[in-house]
Amino acid sequence: MEVLKINGVEKQFPAGIPQTLTGLLEQMDVNQATVVAEIDGKIIERQNFLQTHLSSGQSIELVRFVGGG
Amino acid sequence: MDNLIIAGREFNSRLLIGTGKFASCELMAEAIEKSGTEIVTVALRRVDIENEDDDMLSAIDRTKYLLLPNTSGARSADEAIRLAKLARAATGINWLKLEVTPDPYYLLPDPVETLKAAEILVKDDFVVLPYINADPILAKKLEDVGTATVMPLASPIGSNQGLKTRASLEIIIEQANVPVVVDAGLGLPSHAADAMEMGADAVLVNTAIATATEPAEMATAFKLAVEAGRMAYETGLSAMSKRASASSPLTGFLREQ
Repeated sequence: MEVLKINGVEKQFPAGIPQTLTGLLEQMDVNQATVVAEIDGKIIERQNFLQTHLSSGQSIELVRFVGGG
Repeated sequence: MDNLIIAGREFNSRLLIGTGKFASCELMAEAIEKSGTEIVTVALRRVDIENEDDDMLSAIDRTKYLLLPNTSGARSADEAIRLAKLARAATGINWLKLEVTPDPYYLLPDPVETLKAAEILVKDDFVVLPYINADPILAKKLEDVGTATVMPLASPIGSNQGLKTRASLEIIIEQANVPVVVDAGLGLPSHAADAMEMGADAVLVNTAIATATEPAEMATAFKLAVEAGRMAYETGLSAMSKRASASSPLTGFLREQ
């Protein structure tokens, strides 16, 4: 089965992983405009989300700004 | 009053505001506005996939306020650098509050890792504002590697204890060639005024405003305190003496000579 590690948690995709990062964010209902992504330690610029193809086994970090001092 | 200049950029306000711990985005936005600040700090965290919150950034008018992402949560230089790069990718700006705090109880900054990260980030074109303990030698070393400010703590983050590091802060202020921003532990407007009277170039306040019953009112109080303290510093403080010096004339008393 295809898997992605998202924010440290392994997630299984019985029907296959989304093709692109944009597809994944849409599937997870995450607002793309506010997110920064890192795939296997490499930062993905927001304008490249749509062109970023995913493959099973990748580790994805999705971060965003929160209140902080 | 003089303007604050950091890395060639001019600011009217000498109060930086942290955005943590506010009960709501509305209270945060109102406090930011009342504070008169032009620089607000934010943190980066993993998206909570199960619990999508509203985006707090939408409550901050980016045309009015410079976002200053922090590296809070970083326990080493490497972790801080990773967060810094993510923050730059997210905002498109290269300003950064560098903090490396491996100690979970007092959240004291690690001087060795902070200096190491600062050197690397400055070379990578970041405008680095490092959060440090009030260590004059470290402050000079950071300045030497090219940080835009130094941000020594008054007392532990969120402790509201005020200027516990006074003697060291005075030395840092005396020796610094970059702006000194007193960060962390300022619990009262009088603490902020005190720091500004000492000659700090700015202060950063979060907890004391965010956790006040009326954050916007407290933000106003801090704004006025910072302005008062700065104004007094620029005017030149009167000398202190052990003995009294009468304010009223010492002649013409209604008594026998």
